[in-house]
Amino acid sequence: MQLDPLLGPEGQTEFLLGNEAVARGVYEAGVSVATTYPGTPSSEIGDILYRLSDRMGIKFEFATNEKVALEIAAVASLGGLRSFVFMKHVGLNVAMDSFMSLSGAGAKGGMVVFSADDPSMHSSQNEQDNRFLGKFAKIIVIEPSSPQELKDFVVSAFDLSEEVGHPVLIRSVTRISHIRAPVKLGNLREKREWDYRKDTSYVLLPENAYKAQTSIVNRLDKVNSSKFRDRFNIAYGSSSTLIITSGAAYNYIDEALQMLNVRARILKIGLSFPLDMEGVIQEIERADTVVFIEEGGPFLEEQILSTCALRSINRKFHGKLNGAVPTSYEMDVDRVVGFLSKIYGIQIQTKNPVPNIPVREPVLCPGCPHRATYYVATLAMKQKGIKHPIAPTDIGCYTLGYYEPYGLGDFCFSMGSSVGSSSGFAMNSKEKIVSFIGDSTFFHAGIPALVNAYHNNHNFLLVIMDNSVTAMTGGQPTPESSPPFKRVDIESVVRGIGIRNIFSMDPYDLKNSLETFKKALSTDELAVIISKRECALEVDKKKPLSELTIFQIDQDKCNQCYNCIRNFACAAFYVEDGKVKIDPELCDGCSVCSEPLVCPFNAIEEVKT
Amino acid sequence: MVSIVFAGVGGQGVITVAMIIGRAAVLEGKNVLMTELHGMAQRGGKISVEVRIGDYKSAIIPGGTADAIVAFEELEAVRNVAKLKEGGIILLSRRKIHPVSMTMKNQNYPDELIQNELNKYTMMNVEADQVALELGYKRVANTVMVGAVYSTGLLGLREESLITAIKESLPEKVWKVNLLAFEHGKRLLPVEAASSL
Repeated sequence: MQLDPLLGPEGQTEFLLGNEAVARGVYEAGVSVATTYPGTPSSEIGDILYRLSDRMGIKFEFATNEKVALEIAAVASLGGLRSFVFMKHVGLNVAMDSFMSLSGAGAKGGMVVFSADDPSMHSSQNEQDNRFLGKFAKIIVIEPSSPQELKDFVVSAFDLSEEVGHPVLIRSVTRISHIRAPVKLGNLREKREWDYRKDTSYVLLPENAYKAQTSIVNRLDKVNSSKFRDRFNIAYGSSSTLIITSGAAYNYIDEALQMLNVRARILKIGLSFPLDMEGVIQEIERADTVVFIEEGGPFLEEQILSTCALRSINRKFHGKLNGAVPTSYEMDVDRVVGFLSKIYGIQIQTKNPVPNIPVREPVLCPGCPHRATYYVATLAMKQKGIKHPIAPTDIGCYTLGYYEPYGLGDFCFSMGSSVGSSSGFAMNSKEKIVSFIGDSTFFHAGIPALVNAYHNNHNFLLVIMDNSVTAMTGGQPTPESSPPFKRVDIESVVRGIGIRNIFSMDPYDLKNSLETFKKALSTDELAVIISKRECALEVDKKKPLSELTIFQIDQDKCNQCYNCIRNFACAAFYVEDGKVKIDPELCDGCSVCSEPLVCPFNAIEEVKT
Repeated sequence: MVSIVFAGVGGQGVITVAMIIGRAAVLEGKNVLMTELHGMAQRGGKISVEVRIGDYKSAIIPGGTADAIVAFEELEAVRNVAKLKEGGIILLSRRKIHPVSMTMKNQNYPDELIQNELNKYTMMNVEADQVALELGYKRVANTVMVGAVYSTGLLGLREESLITAIKESLPEKVWKVNLLAFEHGKRLLPVEAASSL
């Protein structure tokens, strides 16, 4: 492999993932401080900065949650440094309290908040469009469309932020952050010096906050000049039909028009708030039909149509507001062809149907300690006669416990919501409440909720599934990781709250875990199990090939009771004509299935390789 | 201009194959787009990576327009056929990874259903795993596949570019075996089949 492409010289072209392009942009922009809490589709930026921050001269850290991350970055900016904070869309909800105050304090060193939204919810709980949050918080909003623009707009956003003294939100989506494309690298800007001076606008008590409102308006007014518009917006094509678009949605339009064999003038907006309204209105006045195509929204559409209403500008407007463009899920060429054909009045052929074949649902990896924990949990509850437990769960790989055969997932809203909702269930329900949370999620938002539960005397069992990493986003460190970090011990945190019923178990040790779980279920006040075993993928990374062991099923011993496939359900098992087998390429060698609690006939044996 | 869907299951290295081809296109100064979706599962979930070389803006291939499906798993080959254009081809490395939901219900892998679907298209088996085993290094099956895709001529890329891209994508200690795998992959498809495309 060559030297790291992200450190390459100006003018070089590299095949970069959108998020890699963001990291390069951060490097080029002369950023001094960068922070995040990992969340897909933004996670890779953190992986890169974690790896390269020293060489890039950036102080980078994984913060406990997005709000802490944003506050660290805000201070760096107020001290004159360029600072960058990034997260997935729902992460901005966590940071929202301080995000709302950013515009009041403004920015000294350029400050950019980066949000990777997830239309169609490839790995999220909703498809919120964070451009609305930017506008709501009175923060400048910029929308790139491609990996190249991600990099270029990151750099331009820092310049803009410093020129007007105001923070900028960049909104990406999955289909930009997770697209690879050639990206031409640019030159490196100089870093700023730390130059912090006290300022009343950083203390947003009522008197100062009152004054800040005026300065927010003044700074945003400065953005309304053609100087900035020209950096971010483009228009081309000649037609009486105008398509106003932005972000990922832009990528599908040219090809859709080509397929339909029709023309349109395209106005691609990169600076989405505050909008260059004069420029937009000029375009609309020259058109007789206007179509709004956005990923999410209607964001541009609402802003623009409000102005058209005020100025009595009437055209044939089509978009999400009149139902011509569907409101949910991400765009693609096929969808754009679908609704544009109706607007243009063109008949199109229906495409090949997708064959009806078995689904392949997401599953816990072979060797995953969460599977063992869920297996023990279901067994323990069965043995204790708990037939209808209520099982709030949380955000992480272990959310997959919701699926059969474990079926443990009755509530999942957001990070930490397993613990908060458990208080709500405990307050009202007579059923046993057993809730599940991961280690990183516990640190992120679980602790205040657990304090609440203890303080208010709520009775439930919380299982903290501690695999020592933030696994679902690719294995980032948690507050437990050390060195070089100081290690925070989960059990000490739980004990420190005052909780007395604390149990520890190694989920791979099914027999002892089962006893522990049953004991924990017997307590009639708040109890916590810490189920600790490192993520199997992390272990695999460290394991030499010579230590690989796998398991197989001795068909002579197998009694075909099917407990292994029905209740343990490791992804490495498969069935051929009624016989259970183990796929040798999938088996992780964890050995858990060979325990009598999974296979009472001792039919699952290690294979010497 | 070419559009290819690479399909398989998480953990099979589908992304690496697409990356090598994408890098080769960049080396030739071509525009290339590649989607890369990360779902909830780290391993065992369905993966489809779409690669388009040429003057495209959309990385997502419109339905019925892909020139080829390159699949590393049988069910996943079928899952993506709606993307294939009329006359498009399927290159398939035969591998069955059973969905857990089927195993839980004691069901066999749906061989018949798959074969019925695949029979509707031009399909070529690529014995990538077998070649890799013969080379004594199971993990190079994906590079065998790169060679097979190259041999169809669909990519419109030069051999040197792919070789450089393989080197750029993999650590130096495995270059030799992977270049050998590429070489074998190139010769895997029947000559007539490859050149008629």
